[in-house]
Amino acid sequence: MLQKREKVLLLRTFQGRTLRIVREHYLRPSVPCNSPLCPRPAACRNDGKLLSGDVTHYMVPDWKVVQDYLEILEFPELKGIIFMQTACQAVQHQRGRRQYNKLRNLLKDARHDCVLFANEFQQSCYLPRERGESMEKWQTRSIYKAAVWYYHHCQDRMPIIMVTEDEEAVPQYGSETEGVFVISFKNYLDNFWPDLKAAHELCDSILQSRRERENESQESHRKEYPEHLPLEVLEAGIKSGRYIQGILNVNKHRAQIEAFVRLQGASSKDSGLVSDILIHGMKARNRSIHGDMVVVELLPKSDWKGRTVALCENDSDDKAPGESPSEPMPTGRVVGILQKNWRDYVVTFPSKEEVQSQGKNAQKILVTPWDYRIPKIRISTQQAEALQDFRVVVRIDSWESTSVYPNGHFVRVLGRIGDLEGEIATILVENNISVAPFSEAQMCKMPVNTPENPWKVSPEEERERRDLRKTHLVFSIDPKGCEDVDDTLSVRTLTNGNLELGVHIADVTHFVAPNSYVDIEAKTRATTYYLADRRYDMLPSILSSDLCSLLGGVDRYAVSIMWELDKTSYEIKEVWYGRTIIRSSYKLFYEAAQELLDGNFNIIDDIPEFRGLDERSRQAKLEELVWAVGKLTDIARHVRAKRDLCGALELEGVEVRVQLDEKKNIRDLIPKQPLEVHETVAECMILANHWVAKKIWESFPHQALLRQHPPPHQEFFSELRECAKAKGFFIDTRSNKTLADSLDNANDPDDPIVNRLLRSMATQAMSNALYFSTGSCAEEEFHHYGLALDKYTHFTSPIRRYADIIVHRLLMAAISKDKKTEVTENLFSNKDLEELCRHINNRNRAAQHSQKQSTELFQCMYFKDKDQETEERCIADGVIYSIRTNGVLVFIPRFGIKGAAYLKNKDGLVISCGPDSRSEWKPGSLQRFQNKITSTTTAGDSVTFHLFDHVTVRISVQASRCHSDTIRLEIMSNKPYMIPDTELLHQSAPLLKSDLVKEVTRSVEEAHLAQEVKGNIIQEDFQKYCQTKGRSLYTLLEEIRDLALLDVSDSHGI
Amino acid sequence: MAGLELLSDQGYRVDGRRAGELRKIQARMGVFSQADGSAYIEQGNTKALAVVYGPHEIRGSRSRALPDRALVNCQYSSATFSTGERKRRPHGDRKSCEMGLQLRQTFEAAILTQLHPRSQIDIYVQVLQADGGTYAACVNAATLAVLDAGIPMRDFVCACSAGFVDGTALADLSHVEEAAGGPQLALALLPASGQIALLEMDARLHEDHLERVLEAAARAARDVHTLLDRVVRQHVREASVLLGD
Repeated sequence: MLQKREKVLLLRTFQGRTLRIVREHYLRPSVPCNSPLCPRPAACRNDGKLLSGDVTHYMVPDWKVVQDYLEILEFPELKGIIFMQTACQAVQHQRGRRQYNKLRNLLKDARHDCVLFANEFQQSCYLPRERGESMEKWQTRSIYKAAVWYYHHCQDRMPIIMVTEDEEAVPQYGSETEGVFVISFKNYLDNFWPDLKAAHELCDSILQSRRERENESQESHRKEYPEHLPLEVLEAGIKSGRYIQGILNVNKHRAQIEAFVRLQGASSKDSGLVSDILIHGMKARNRSIHGDMVVVELLPKSDWKGRTVALCENDSDDKAPGESPSEPMPTGRVVGILQKNWRDYVVTFPSKEEVQSQGKNAQKILVTPWDYRIPKIRISTQQAEALQDFRVVVRIDSWESTSVYPNGHFVRVLGRIGDLEGEIATILVENNISVAPFSEAQMCKMPVNTPENPWKVSPEEERERRDLRKTHLVFSIDPKGCEDVDDTLSVRTLTNGNLELGVHIADVTHFVAPNSYVDIEAKTRATTYYLADRRYDMLPSILSSDLCSLLGGVDRYAVSIMWELDKTSYEIKEVWYGRTIIRSSYKLFYEAAQELLDGNFNIIDDIPEFRGLDERSRQAKLEELVWAVGKLTDIARHVRAKRDLCGALELEGVEVRVQLDEKKNIRDLIPKQPLEVHETVAECMILANHWVAKKIWESFPHQALLRQHPPPHQEFFSELRECAKAKGFFIDTRSNKTLADSLDNANDPDDPIVNRLLRSMATQAMSNALYFSTGSCAEEEFHHYGLALDKYTHFTSPIRRYADIIVHRLLMAAISKDKKTEVTENLFSNKDLEELCRHINNRNRAAQHSQKQSTELFQCMYFKDKDQETEERCIADGVIYSIRTNGVLVFIPRFGIKGAAYLKNKDGLVISCGPDSRSEWKPGSLQRFQNKITSTTTAGDSVTFHLFDHVTVRISVQASRCHSDTIRLEIMSNKPYMIPDTELLHQSAPLLKSDLVKEVTRSVEEAHLAQEVKGNIIQEDFQKYCQTKGRSLYTLLEEIRDLALLDVSDSHGI
Repeated sequence: MAGLELLSDQGYRVDGRRAGELRKIQARMGVFSQADGSAYIEQGNTKALAVVYGPHEIRGSRSRALPDRALVNCQYSSATFSTGERKRRPHGDRKSCEMGLQLRQTFEAAILTQLHPRSQIDIYVQVLQADGGTYAACVNAATLAVLDAGIPMRDFVCACSAGFVDGTALADLSHVEEAAGGPQLALALLPASGQIALLEMDARLHEDHLERVLEAAARAARDVHTLLDRVVRQHVREASVLLGD
């Protein structure tokens, strides 16, 4: 039975009148207490997450503690936290949506031991506010009353500690009830968590930054920035079209001056603007930070500015002198921020000398974020000196209009500057990736597979599933040393003469139940993160490299798709989806499969499955396998040809793999080398993905997860078209078919690099492929541009992508729907799925960024150790692919590096090349044309660089303390680099593929040998973090495979 | 301030109810002795008074009389003090006229008008305090008043509103929930037969969700019926006790 109460609120209207509002408030005898000690769980309806039973006390934070120290309450070490509704509402009303959502996510997170108690709806906990009582006092009183009730509710069995910041509350309530203690937060941490150093440090730093802020607000400064407009004005302005809403994007290369606002939603249509809006200078940016959702007011046309086109250095606070910007574009200023998008930032404290020059205020220190796009942050801390050699995580607290820089507080230390682990941790934090090892709670739910207790196929599953162990020849083709085999293939002839092609994918969903701990963890990670030298798995290794991995010679559960194909035309006649049991016969690696395909049978010695067989059975088995591989390639070629007819694109992402030797030293940088077998496997996977996409979309038209690749914007192709024109090619970008054809035609027989560069430019112009829920898009938007398929999804790698797990569940539900059995799995609704897709897309982007950044890190480390004057590897051949006003952009095919090379240095000297084509710096001027740039010295010599010219460049590393190191290029000569004879072999492009593979493997072996002979100090340093050889090689090759399946890589220029 | 959270993660609404729970309903019949029938109802903080006259001869122009059934005349007004900010005109604005027409439609469907040809039934409803769900409160009050007047009806007419927030259907919206601007549906139900006397919604709602919102409103209307039935029985018991003396 509910009890009705009334709450009277006095509000002030916009006109300034007071308004009396009466709101009802219903109380009930029981609300869920979510405690395992509850005497009547049925009456309390405890159906959600429960507090854990193994805590010594429950902790009830006061409203002020929740508001200010939520970051500390997020520590997983703190257990048994009961958030009172009163405190949560205080956060909601006074701290805004961001903080409140953080609290909500914390409460929802099954891994964190905390619950919400709705004390204001409980009839014996509710306290009406008394006349004249301040809001703060009432909140503290309510929370205390609720804590006392909770204590009695659990039959006085669990002491409760209320943690408050209200100094009066401690003596007032402290000794009122036995078993309910009231202490201050600092006290609580000191007494109960003396060892939790991180929490103490964080607490100090929060306290200090708050104190600073209070001091500051008392002093009256002059305004540095105009105030933001109130929310109502902004919303009205957006509606009327006066203001424009968008996401702020800071230009990485001119972070101080240039930022762009990408328009969002309807506002772009109304205002008739097509391009982004330029925000020029920090003043106009008005305290917004990269990624914020801002509201912009356009400036009058006379104030519009153009974007800068010259190359420039990042760190100099440049006023690029005397250069002419491009034509003016819409320019605006920020008038308000709708949603702040602050995250954790990695920063570097200034070195000792810099601190002294900052001088006057030693406690407040300006730190420089690792990300160029983030402004410097003011931190108040005593530990500045101790922290100066470290990468440190900070958070921004506020940015007042009186302050030039935002205020923040210090959170934790990552590692030393320049140290590999520290730098990798930096990349992870900057991409918001958290990869703690799997906890015990997650692991204990996992099946075991040990020699004493081997995992077996259960009889029930054997009955449910179709058994392919005896009937099908199943094999996998993967990179050498691969541990997580998630796809296998089979092909056989049916009795009616038709062919049956099968794709068998690891049945991960059998082991990962929806909403289990492992599932939740996998959902948060969303993908396996591959960095240049390591990987962070999405699933625990017992699944990813054992039970879910379709290894050779063992029984495994799988989800299969089998097509019946016509024997000659390979038309698909019928398709079957379902759960199966398979036993993979061969675990081939790509190179071996390619050898078999080429009819080169020497490789069979490398295939372990053939060892220990007598000659006859070996011959028979070999024939069987060779037939299957050959047939598969045939089918794949046919399918591919059909897709090509519709205009599938073959795009080139110029990617380089870091080759690591045994001790994880960087041995070499190798561009990837495709084999035909890669394409065969990829084609089968694309086929499987396509058919699954069709199936789940038919069964669940509004809630299927598909992958779309929107057609690119035509204007992005203009650079590509112009570049191609320079070489006399015409690129038709009207559709994917014409683009694919004209890219194929744009082939310079003398220079294969041209085609690669054009393809990579086309890739850059593409939009990214995205996951989406079918309920929120029109059907014609489902199209996958790059693959030229009407529907596409990801199904084939459930071990390393969470999207595939969702698709597996959808497929299973679709199958049981067909069988008219009840759908047992509860699927996501369209809205939830859409949100999940957004999360996965986000994480994928983070994974790509981190992979790219870690590769760059390794590139820098590789060149850092080389003496650039003597080492011949530092001098390489480069191709000019873009022209700017003071330099050119150069691509180095040997290492896949793209970078800028200046033609005019800092002293204003320009480059000139003498008769021996050696370059020198001399005074002079530059002149830029459409397709070339001419540098003329005062003496009258001139040198011209055309697009696609080959030049010799020297690669060096520009070290940076606060940011990541960058590669620098310097033009040494305007002639192509003469490659020494030995290298020539490696360089010439139309080399036989198989030879190339041999070359790669040979160089790996050489590295291996070389390693045994010499060892230097740096290696010993690395040895500390060294991983097994298999692991690092595995990653290297795994990425190659990844690329083969990557639709379109998200590559950024410089 | 962050936007109001209409439905918390724990499933509570702003005022502490769960999604399907009604506000507190209190009602009385026969509040005026002058009129033929009258009733007063409180649904949470929405308070309404209904008065019924008739059936009686047609007042005013005779030509309005219907040969085969009674004319139902409904007037709705809401007191100037009923909302937070004082209203200018108690009745006669577009909204009140519309409400009057809706009430008339509802009751023409429920009252057995063919029993009283050439006569007129007047229903006057006044809202004293408005806190969401005024239409529902008016219908429920008028039902009790018509019953009090002893006019034969097919069944009770029970009305309730329902809304849709974050994928959940909420029954009996309060003013705060209405003001948030989500879709709102008003349903008048004849509970015994399950027939719908009036269904009104002037917001966009996806077809897939309509079923659920309708279901929530119907269940709430049945709950209202249980309560009104109790009020009527109580009233009859009191009246018969008086007669017995």
